[in-house]
Amino acid sequence: MQEATGTAGARVNPEVDSLVRAAQRGDQDAFEQLVRTYDQSVLRLAMNLLRSPEDARDVYQEAFLRVHRNLPSFRFDCSFHTWLYRIVTNICLDQLRRRKVRKEEPAVFETSEGEIDRMESFEEESAGANPERMTWNRELGQRISGALEELTPRERMVFELRHYQGLRLRNIGDILGTSEEAAKNCFFRATQKMRTLLGDLV
Amino acid sequence: MTCDAVRKLIPLYYYGELSAEEEDRAEAHIHECAGCARQMEAARTLAAALDRRRMEAPAELLEDCRADLAAAVRAARLEPARRPWRLWVEAAEATLAGFTGWRQPVGAVALIALGFFAARLVPAGAGVSTASLAPSEGVFVNVRSAQPDSSGHVRIAYDETRRREVSGAIDNQEIQKLLLAAAREEDDPGVRVESVGLLKDRAGSGEVREALMNALLHDTNAGVRLKAIEGLKPLAAQATVRGALSQALQFDDNDAVRMQAVDLLTMRRDDAMVGVLQNLMQKEDNGYVRLKCEKALKEMNASIGTF
Repeated sequence: MQEATGTAGARVNPEVDSLVRAAQRGDQDAFEQLVRTYDQSVLRLAMNLLRSPEDARDVYQEAFLRVHRNLPSFRFDCSFHTWLYRIVTNICLDQLRRRKVRKEEPAVFETSEGEIDRMESFEEESAGANPERMTWNRELGQRISGALEELTPRERMVFELRHYQGLRLRNIGDILGTSEEAAKNCFFRATQKMRTLLGDLV
Repeated sequence: MTCDAVRKLIPLYYYGELSAEEEDRAEAHIHECAGCARQMEAARTLAAALDRRRMEAPAELLEDCRADLAAAVRAARLEPARRPWRLWVEAAEATLAGFTGWRQPVGAVALIALGFFAARLVPAGAGVSTASLAPSEGVFVNVRSAQPDSSGHVRIAYDETRRREVSGAIDNQEIQKLLLAAAREEDDPGVRVESVGLLKDRAGSGEVREALMNALLHDTNAGVRLKAIEGLKPLAAQATVRGALSQALQFDDNDAVRMQAVDLLTMRRDDAMVGVLQNLMQKEDNGYVRLKCEKALKEMNASIGTF
């Protein structure tokens, strides 16, 4: 099932709406279907942002438990997708802000064989990529990870939602509780920083 | 359009976020200007490099997440094991709803059907029929012997257990007594959940509060413990209740129970909780509980860990 994400605030997907209403009445199968409609993109967002499978797993659990707990009070003032993403982005932003303050959970850590990116090693283990590609990916990945770390949590979130999740800036503004214009400015700052930091790659 | 103005628009142009008019003007300029065309190409290259870092959630991680969530939701949703009991209560409540005269100001009408358990506790009295030749509906029999006698009849000996139904307001002493006993002793976790659920709005009574704390700390069913914690919420400032919540926070193996406990314990500043919260930071796996502990410790200017 594909949710139309460009028109936050409107009831853009009747199929999702009926699932939400059924889940509000206590239909657990409907709740599970709702979860399965969105959970891959939620998990992908959390992994890309936090670069840690453990943290992504925590975000997934916490986000959908909050949805389960608060679904009865959801009043269709916005689309379910927007509401869900508000929950997910709030949890992720809290985590990113904590990391900024505490400088903890670095995506890259030192080993006897040099720096390893937690997510790169995770990908390599699961994908069984060829050595040359792995090396290139690792170098590129480290550069990009370093550049992403320089963004503010909000810039990082806007960039992630636009580039990797493909959401429109208008929808991103709704999710983050700001205007489309503010989301555009934030996105512009993020791309400028990335260009400056990765200038030699492009 | 100047080059400066166009270069500011290039990221938005690349991602298709310009208005149609802005897009036309930017496109016209890029077509004419080699410098801006190079900038546009650089934006494409950067996006392509970033695309290489795009990742899908591994299937195993997704499955693990789904399994974790299903377990947590099961624990939280308090579905009683004995479904017909719940349906009966709902149906009875719906029927009573038509008789507004029966409804108490706070809607505290309780209907109790505790089966064997009620039969044990409610003394036989007026209106209770005695055994007849054939057991009536609601009576459970266990035949002990069946023998022909000398007159040609059959002599049957059986034990009978009678199902009783009582109804009354939740404030009624007898009703509360039954509910308290059911909350403590009934084998069926579904009945315990319902009983604790009905009692939870009466936590002001000392006996009910004790029963809720007992359920929170000792009931083997997470659904019952969650109902109990819900009932204790208005009393979360009381020292004895905080003690029980603190025990649940530290030792309950159910994430949802610990999440509820930490919410109640950190609603207001309590310096006496510092040690407990610091210890939790060393062993707690649940991200939400850790987050709440950390926030509370920061608010109390306490260190996050013990040293």
